[in-house]
Amino acid sequence: MTQILALLTDSYRELNSRKLFWITMLLSGLVVGVFAAFGLNDKGISFLWWQFDTPLLSAKTIEPRKFYIFAFANLGIPIWLTWAAMILALISTSSIFPDFIAGGAIELTLSKPISRMRLFLVKYVLGLLFVVLQVGVFSLACFLVIGVRGESWEPSLFLAVPIVTLVFSYLFGVCVLVGMMTRSTIAALLATLLFWLFLWGLNTTDGIFVLQRETSIVNHERAQKRVERQELASRRRIEQLAAAGEPVPTADTLPANVRDELEAVNAFLAPARKEAADAEESAAFWKRWTRLIVGAKTVLPKTVDTTALLDRWLLTPEDKALFSPERGESGDPDGKVRFGQPDREVQKRAEEAVRGRTVYWVIGTSLGFEALVVLVAGWLFCRRDF
Amino acid sequence: MVTHAAETGWAIDLTNVSKTYRGKVRALRGIDTRVRAGEIFGLLGPNGAGKSTLVKILMTVIRPTTASGTMLGQRVGHKPTLARVGYLPEHHRFPEYLTGAQVIDYYGALAGMPRAQRRKRRDELLEIVGMKDWADTKVRGYSKGMRQRVGIAQAIVNNPDLVVLDEPTDGVDPVGRRDIRAILVRLKEQGKTVFLNSHLLSELEMVCDRVAILVQGTVASQGTIDELTCGKIRYDIEIVGGDEAAAQRSLAAAAGSTPHTIARNTLSLATTDAAVVQPVIDALRAGGVIIRSIRPVRPSLEDLFMEAVTDPTTGVALPPGARKGAGREGS
Ligand SMILES: Nc1ncnc2c1ncn2[C@@H]1O[C@H](COP(=O)(O)OP(=O)(O)OP(=O)(O)O)[C@@H](O)[C@H]1O
Ligand SMILES: [Mg+2]
Repeated sequence: MTQILALLTDSYRELNSRKLFWITMLLSGLVVGVFAAFGLNDKGISFLWWQFDTPLLSAKTIEPRKFYIFAFANLGIPIWLTWAAMILALISTSSIFPDFIAGGAIELTLSKPISRMRLFLVKYVLGLLFVVLQVGVFSLACFLVIGVRGESWEPSLFLAVPIVTLVFSYLFGVCVLVGMMTRSTIAALLATLLFWLFLWGLNTTDGIFVLQRETSIVNHERAQKRVERQELASRRRIEQLAAAGEPVPTADTLPANVRDELEAVNAFLAPARKEAADAEESAAFWKRWTRLIVGAKTVLPKTVDTTALLDRWLLTPEDKALFSPERGESGDPDGKVRFGQPDREVQKRAEEAVRGRTVYWVIGTSLGFEALVVLVAGWLFCRRDF
Repeated sequence: MVTHAAETGWAIDLTNVSKTYRGKVRALRGIDTRVRAGEIFGLLGPNGAGKSTLVKILMTVIRPTTASGTMLGQRVGHKPTLARVGYLPEHHRFPEYLTGAQVIDYYGALAGMPRAQRRKRRDELLEIVGMKDWADTKVRGYSKGMRQRVGIAQAIVNNPDLVVLDEPTDGVDPVGRRDIRAILVRLKEQGKTVFLNSHLLSELEMVCDRVAILVQGTVASQGTIDELTCGKIRYDIEIVGGDEAAAQRSLAAAAGSTPHTIARNTLSLATTDAAVVQPVIDALRAGGVIIRSIRPVRPSLEDLFMEAVTDPTTGVALPPGARKGAGREGS
């Protein structure tokens, strides 16, 4: 216990000695300050002493509480904490392990009565201290701002602390592993940033593919419906013909290019059927590719999905709908949807598909990846001759 | 304190310690050595002989290729034992953001010392190593010798039974070196064991009870300084001689059958017995030779060292580092 306490004190002193730690704190303060300067009143939005009349977005249309929470969950968390502060955090923590194992420094630590694995794991967890402190202070400040200005006390904001720390820890694991292998801060930082970029790219691809898949599924369903309508029309037509005593087409009398008697009496049926078949094929194609991407995501950490959990927990879909302008025309409910021209139905389904991913899948498998990376790094640490 | 080590009498008892680094550098080739509890033991040897490697194996910083033996009665590599050991690595670098006092406190805490005890000990040690006035300055503002002094302090903060120091006087001024020697002697008086690596042979000679000379990963010789020099004491008789050839002739004649060597106008008799020397003096005096000095010569540690690192066949000092070509096995 004495040893862990000593390592904790040391980690704190190390952080404290880094300028970037305080710069990040300062920037965090600035972000919260700007956040606090925004106000919502009956006429619209105010910033400091300026007033912007926005009838669509005012205290009359939404509760101030929701306005602030939305800003926190959609601007504070995704932009500030998960990008800007995250990069600053990576820059300032990437040197922790290379410094720790540098020649001249590590010998003394290793010669103490503490096992190497324990030492490594304690040091790893303490590496997360930077982010815990930053997000903790940021959340506390936002909690106060929302409390005072939105007149609502939202302890659930503090969910940001574990969630953002979690996201950071996925990346920190990779950073530590590369640092352990190369002993170089720069290599560790670059590799981690590249990895992060790759994850981001994968996530974007995932988003696009899910949208494609839902588009093709909706198209298929609609095409299917059109086919059914045309078939119904054909049957009626055949009944009419029969009632009128006119010749009804039978399987033997069909022209060569016609599939069945229904098509023989209805010129619209064949194109509709073809469209449905195409849509089905397209749906199968996108389903396959989405499965592949989701499979790849399953074994990798999911930074964006993890952050999105916060959104999921802080805001209900109805809350979200309040803020997102109606995307995509509702259009013709039966019409064909083209990609890039999203349809409300498709949009909704895609969102549901992403929201429907279980917390276990999002966090559990990411943690699995992290555990693996950390164990490999720890193993290297235990085996290395310093 | 009755420890297992005190019972068996060995603080360190190593057999067949070897280490081959990756890249096939055979830094240690089967070391057997023992350090008595309560003595100051010096390990010397040329650069790259494997001294630091041996120390790092004891401190679990590197893993030996083969090793058996004990340290303070526990097998080498037993972590909890390290709470009773103090260590000063060579080329150490303390976290730059700590002050001298914090460094001592931090490493004391890592050794598992309770807080109150650390406090007391820290102030005491800063006084002993003469760093009291600098206690609250960050290490980054220290000179090399100052770092070394703080290093010594942190090595003994946990009141260890065994202190392992890798070149403790590296970069320390003469006063500081004397202070460090005094610290070592005091540790010995308290019944602690000190294991020391150094290149400063005269210093080792002053404080060490026993030494081992390590050459290219093997122990060339070990024992007390008396044991090592035993049989190497000689008498040198220097004469005043005009003609060198004549002088040498008369020296050879006087020495007679006593084993000897002659260099210029000095006769070295390989004996420790003063009685053996007397007839030689008589013979020289009878021949009218003027004797300038007669003195017993005892080889210094430096002489022993030089002997150990010199290739007996060629008379050339061995190059530094582990012998190249790990595959070849030889004497
Ligand atoms: N980490 C390492 N990897 C590979 N080889 C090493 C490593 N450390 C030391 N060596 C080699 O092992 C041999 C012994 O080195 P060691 O540092 O033990 O020597 P030393 O006796 O302490 O020398 P010095 O008096 O210069 O401090 C040298 O040949 C060195 O090149
Ligand atoms: Mg050395």
